[in-house]
Amino acid sequence: VQEILRHSNVHVLHELDRLTTLLRDAPGVQMTQLAPYYTWVKNACEELRQSVEQNLRDLDLGQSGILSAIASETQKVIRFFYMLDQRLAGPVLRARPSDRLCLSVLRWLHEVHPQTQHIPAAVSDGQFASYPDPHWPTIYFMPPSAQTGLLYLPLFFHEFGHLLYACHEPEMDALVEQLQETLAELLTPGIQREDLHDRIEVEKRRTIVETWYAWAQELFCDAIGLTIGGPAFAHAFSMHLQMLGRGHFYLPAEDLARRDHPVTWLRIQLLVHRAREMGHQEDAEILDTRWKTLATALGIVADYHGFYEEEFLPTIQETVDDMLTEAAPVTYSEEMAGSSARPSLFPSPIRLLHRAWQQFGENHDEFRQWEEQEIVAFLQS
Amino acid sequence: MSTQWLAVQSFERSQDILGAINTLSIHLKLRLAGVPDEERTQAAARARETLTAFFKKLDATVQETQRGEATPLLGVDPRLRQLVKSFVSAKRDRRRFQSVLFQRMPADMVPLFASEQEADLEALVQCLAEFRVILEEHVYEDTARILGEI
Repeated sequence: VQEILRHSNVHVLHELDRLTTLLRDAPGVQMTQLAPYYTWVKNACEELRQSVEQNLRDLDLGQSGILSAIASETQKVIRFFYMLDQRLAGPVLRARPSDRLCLSVLRWLHEVHPQTQHIPAAVSDGQFASYPDPHWPTIYFMPPSAQTGLLYLPLFFHEFGHLLYACHEPEMDALVEQLQETLAELLTPGIQREDLHDRIEVEKRRTIVETWYAWAQELFCDAIGLTIGGPAFAHAFSMHLQMLGRGHFYLPAEDLARRDHPVTWLRIQLLVHRAREMGHQEDAEILDTRWKTLATALGIVADYHGFYEEEFLPTIQETVDDMLTEAAPVTYSEEMAGSSARPSLFPSPIRLLHRAWQQFGENHDEFRQWEEQEIVAFLQS
Repeated sequence: MSTQWLAVQSFERSQDILGAINTLSIHLKLRLAGVPDEERTQAAARARETLTAFFKKLDATVQETQRGEATPLLGVDPRLRQLVKSFVSAKRDRRRFQSVLFQRMPADMVPLFASEQEADLEALVQCLAEFRVILEEHVYEDTARILGEI
């Protein structure tokens, strides 16, 4: 096994050399906006190299007692190399001039929040997602076509919510725990019979309560999106998901169990509720009507199989409000009024994103031309 | 809107704990074998701190889980919940897991981390080796979720 381990470690060193060469010659190296991210990736490669060299030195000791630990360490190093090679290096290797738009928005977003100022951001291709770990730079994934326009950029704010959650994890987890406790109480009937039926119900309640851990975080991220992006976020969210089929309106109970996201229609209803509270009445009505119209056309009646009931709403909204207070994101209203208490070196994109959705709603035909001009102006500002 | 965030955070956490386990294991085994390992002394001390904090946190969640099948785990992310369930399940598997850690509770590891007694260090090495098995199975799942499988 010693020889297998040595061979595996030497092989990683060779692969690391190849990756380092690719990175050095990559288009992303020339992009100033990507410089902090590139530096992190370069340092990660160097740390990985040191770990591999340590493994080789440990193997040279010839101590059979430590081979299992070296094997585990070798596997750990290889897993991280794959992560670097297949995901983390991507933003540098695939960098395009058009990334400047996304990177400008992300740089502003990270810079105006004290808890994320030190975390580099990067963009990569894929469905909307992120790697929100405060110990790593944050990669934001977005479909390539969406990256070049203004309309879907507000969806970054939802992903940024995951990073804010991670930055405040102990406090956020405590708030979610309180929410789960309240939901457990609401779900528990006054009389319990302790028979087979009751045991099934107990298991169902446990599943619902545990499922709400991830759901609470997703709803918080939606609220972050709306708080920062305003109506532009709500429209982007709705437009992206509204025509993806009935699974976004209804799911059977077994599919809801421990699902990471609530059904989209429920998320829309909660967004509509919050948008009304924030004073975005008109936009809230548009979204509400649109999703109800689509649901009617599909013959769907809202049913969340006990995973959500109207009586949950006050405690959910209260929890999300507390989470927003903890995370303290910049707000749409302050950005629109130009009264943000957190001025940035980088231009705020909020007004532009708001105007983009207005323009898109008012004049589809001339939108592309308008958008191109606005992007150029924004990048020059 | 994908849910890779759960797997990514779990991956990073598991890799970190695995690194601490491996560093401390190698350091202790070399020490027990009488092989000098001064260059790793500081890293081993950091690993002890990391693992002490981790096992204390794990202990609280394991206690919650052992209150009964019907009791939901609150304020715990799904991947950590899965790790805790794997640990509780392993405690019942006396054939594969025989160390002190799996006979008692995670918090019982804390005195071992502080001890310099040879018997304690040997027990600690065995605990870490067995817990590594659980963690490696766990991180395999995270990696598959992020990178996919061939």
